[in-house]
Amino acid sequence: MTGSATFLARRAWANLRGEVLVLPSRTLALAWAGAGLLLPLVWADPYVLRVAAMTCIFAAVAASWDLLAGYAGQINFGHALFFGSGAYASALVSLRLDVSPWIGVAAGAAMAAGLGLGVGLLCLRLRGSYLSLATLAFPLILIGVLFAFPEFSGGELGVTGVRPLAASRVGNYYIAAVGMLALVFGLWSIADSRFGLVLHAIRDDEVAARASGINTARYKLAAFAISAFAAGVAGALYAHFMRGAGPSTLETALSFQVVIWGIFGGVATIYGPVAAVFVLYPLTEWLGSFKAFGELRLLIFAAIVLLVLLFMPRGLTPWVRDKVETQCPRCKQRNVAWRARCRLCDAALEVGTAPGRPGHRPR
Amino acid sequence: MVRFIALAVTAAVAASAALAQDAIKIAVLGPMAFVQGENHWAGAELARDEINAAGGVSIGGKKAKVEIIRVDTNEIQSVPDATNAMERAITRDKADYVIGGFRSEAVLAMQEVAMDYKKLFLGCGAADAKLGANVQRDYARYKYWFRVTPLNSPDLGKTLFAVLGDIAGQIRRDLKKETPKVAILSEKVMWTEAIVKAAQANLPKMKMEVVGLWQPSPTATDVTAELSAIDRAGADVVFTALSGPVGIVVGRQMGERKMKAVAFGINVEAQKDAFWQATAGKANYLATLDTYGEVEMTPKMIPFVKAFKERFHRSPTYNAGTYDAIQLLKQVIEQAGTTDADKLVPIIEKTTFVGTGAILEYDKAHDPIWGIGKDTGIAVQWQDGKKVPFWPGQVKGMKPFKFPAG
Amino acid sequence: MLQDILVTGLVNGGVYALLATGFSLVFGVARIVNIAHTAFYMLAAYCLYTLLVLGGMRGPLAAVLSVVAVTALSVACYRLVIEPVRQHESAVLIATIALALIFQEVMLIAYGGNYLGIPSAVDGVVDVAGVSIPLQRVLILAAAAAMLSATWALLYRTRLGLAIRATANDLEVANLMGMNVERVAMLTVAISVALAAIAGVAVAPVFVVDPFMWLGPLVTVLAVVVLGGLGSLKGSLLGALVIGYVEAITVFALPQGAFLKGAVALSIMVGVLLVRPEGLFGVAFEEER
Repeated sequence: MTGSATFLARRAWANLRGEVLVLPSRTLALAWAGAGLLLPLVWADPYVLRVAAMTCIFAAVAASWDLLAGYAGQINFGHALFFGSGAYASALVSLRLDVSPWIGVAAGAAMAAGLGLGVGLLCLRLRGSYLSLATLAFPLILIGVLFAFPEFSGGELGVTGVRPLAASRVGNYYIAAVGMLALVFGLWSIADSRFGLVLHAIRDDEVAARASGINTARYKLAAFAISAFAAGVAGALYAHFMRGAGPSTLETALSFQVVIWGIFGGVATIYGPVAAVFVLYPLTEWLGSFKAFGELRLLIFAAIVLLVLLFMPRGLTPWVRDKVETQCPRCKQRNVAWRARCRLCDAALEVGTAPGRPGHRPR
Repeated sequence: MVRFIALAVTAAVAASAALAQDAIKIAVLGPMAFVQGENHWAGAELARDEINAAGGVSIGGKKAKVEIIRVDTNEIQSVPDATNAMERAITRDKADYVIGGFRSEAVLAMQEVAMDYKKLFLGCGAADAKLGANVQRDYARYKYWFRVTPLNSPDLGKTLFAVLGDIAGQIRRDLKKETPKVAILSEKVMWTEAIVKAAQANLPKMKMEVVGLWQPSPTATDVTAELSAIDRAGADVVFTALSGPVGIVVGRQMGERKMKAVAFGINVEAQKDAFWQATAGKANYLATLDTYGEVEMTPKMIPFVKAFKERFHRSPTYNAGTYDAIQLLKQVIEQAGTTDADKLVPIIEKTTFVGTGAILEYDKAHDPIWGIGKDTGIAVQWQDGKKVPFWPGQVKGMKPFKFPAG
Repeated sequence: MLQDILVTGLVNGGVYALLATGFSLVFGVARIVNIAHTAFYMLAAYCLYTLLVLGGMRGPLAAVLSVVAVTALSVACYRLVIEPVRQHESAVLIATIALALIFQEVMLIAYGGNYLGIPSAVDGVVDVAGVSIPLQRVLILAAAAAMLSATWALLYRTRLGLAIRATANDLEVANLMGMNVERVAMLTVAISVALAAIAGVAVAPVFVVDPFMWLGPLVTVLAVVVLGGLGSLKGSLLGALVIGYVEAITVFALPQGAFLKGAVALSIMVGVLLVRPEGLFGVAFEEER
């Protein structure tokens, strides 16, 4: 009994050392997930926990955008539609049907996924900028519909009085954090699978992908539905955390915010947009807490985004990753930048000529 | 778990330490980059300086100074920012009381946070009745919420019909029209729902004819289509319920079209000094409900408005009700001899407070009780660049209501 | 009611056309989705306010100066911010969003969140078929017509126009033919922003000037150009009229649903896209083989 336990522990450690700790990016991801889970134990300040929970929720939204925009190339300018519809649906179900809030969350996710399918269907024939600009319209149309039925939607107030998912602040933080980790790792593993590869192919050349026998329509629809589902879960978590869902969850400003997070972090990575939210959201909140220049927060935010972009036009994480890791020219595996030879195939790694990641190059 | 209990204990100790301090900390929350927030802050500054100059608030024989904390909620641009700001004000800045708020969606979310911490939250900006309905629905949780300004929206409706009745009387007398025609021009939002329904039901009883209902968006930048339809319907009065920038557009475009109809109702933008400039001087004769003017609604109103104008070089809007909020806190704290919110709530519920804008008494929803001589607000009309108060007519300082010439 | 709809739709359509043409042009030539387009329109309005109302300058001079200043600013922004990241389409996209946010926040800080008014260039109303239209709106319509004709003449009657159209048609071949495509792109940006600035200057006196005034028109402009076909001049004009008329019809036919006019216009756009994914006059060459 103890023998097998030691064996499992030893294998886990070996895996950890061999697969995770060899690369700075993976080590960082592990440290970040760990820190997220340990935060309430070391710093249970309610204000910090609130900001951290918000960060987690928005990180999930940004990651879900990336699957659709980064991998499938469907640059969505109306991602707030999925976030907002998830928030509204879950709040309405939790409040009006008086069921467990978790059923509300499921309803929000289902609603968003359904809308994702619908929007995807409408947008199947749209390409490039047409798709971006057309998707911008959908959340605004939904706002119009919600305002038309104020008894149902609460008009400009939204749906309020929703019960939180957990009683304590720490509990609510854990729901947001664990929910985010599950969504992000889920999205990441989808993006890393054959499915993600096909999305890559569709984005880079849809005609060629179709010619290779791929049902591109079905894949694009699936990308829309999965992305919307994740954003809907995030919206539902938001509604229960804020105890209400209002028209601000559908605003154009939020859609733009998501686009900024996604591209700032680096598209087609999943972790990039997440990192961007974890850098930018607490930063803006921190800036806002200064009495002297708190009102300048959005200006400073925009200026930072612009400046960083001038130096890292492909986004934050690809730039950082190219600094700390190189790719083996022979087996295409990644190595720490300061290694002389590849950790797997022992080929010589040229120092200082880190090639860009293969695959996606923003057009 | 142990850690958690330890933290809870520290928090409790910190809280009691805060109460034992000399200063009473009041967080003023508002969109500080905007006129609303500026008024929140200005009203609070005025109250703080007056109270502190007179020695402070006396609690059981000891004097405590008032300290106000400026908290930018950024609520017009982001609702999560507003809730974060409320949390920060309570847990970081250790505010004893919170006052302010403007955008209804954000105030509802901030109300939740303040109630979590059982902090007295005196609202000075959101009119929606839902805030008070929460108190009735779940008293134990929401009892710490009180509204100082404005009236809740159904009560605003009561004032509107009283004023409209007077205007209709004047139309019958001066313009010799037996049943004045009224066009309702209202934003399609929650707070106007009750007012619009009541208008459709009451106006015919008040011998007025409703010629139609137009509902633009609060942020519409153009109402030419609405106005030409209203012109065609031959309206004498355009009855407005507008809180957004569309109020300016309505004022300006009515003037540009040289419409015969006179606009009256709620037009939040028209309550601001900047309205005349914003409409390029086109909005002559437009009238709206308002809170402050140099008239004697309460004994405190004229001195307050004068002091405000002298210090900040503009007139106060209803968001400057933060002044009354702080003065109300002072009165009840001195009466109770404690700063404990739980003890203050029943006292505020029973108190009669003579404020600058109104005489406040609270109902079950913790909304001010509406009544002539208590809390009605005033009605003002823009006449040649000046905001002229004309209702209630019997109050000292009121001037007559005018119709567009011709 | 019919004449009301006809006149209102035409006047509003003219304003949209003025804004949409510039947006469409810069997309067609430089492949830039310029989210900051209407932010330049806002800047022009603020500029006019500062010179005219605060500075006491004469109307026409203030208007010209505003347009020139904003156009110069756009060229500077293009050289400093857009050109360095031109190779990365997504970076260009958020650079324009960030620019728009910066303009919005700077105006918010400089002028506060107040709504400002600019006096009309011409006062009075004119009666057309029983509908009274303020003269300022007639002026806007005239300005829109003049600017659209001027743009058309520039594109189809000058050598620069030929170069712009060539670049729009095939960037690489234009480059191979020895054209300075970067320069053409920059000039197009300048022309496009000048059109936005003219729209801002012309329209500011009938609208309200505030730091968020760019968002509403942005959505309308996007609807117009997508409806008409990105990069098509004639499409923008037609799209603008369609949206103008759809909004007018919504208000007149459904007075209680006036707030829905934006949503209805957007739904019409989506509807058109379902039938013609490249808009009414768009070309489906992009990404097709």
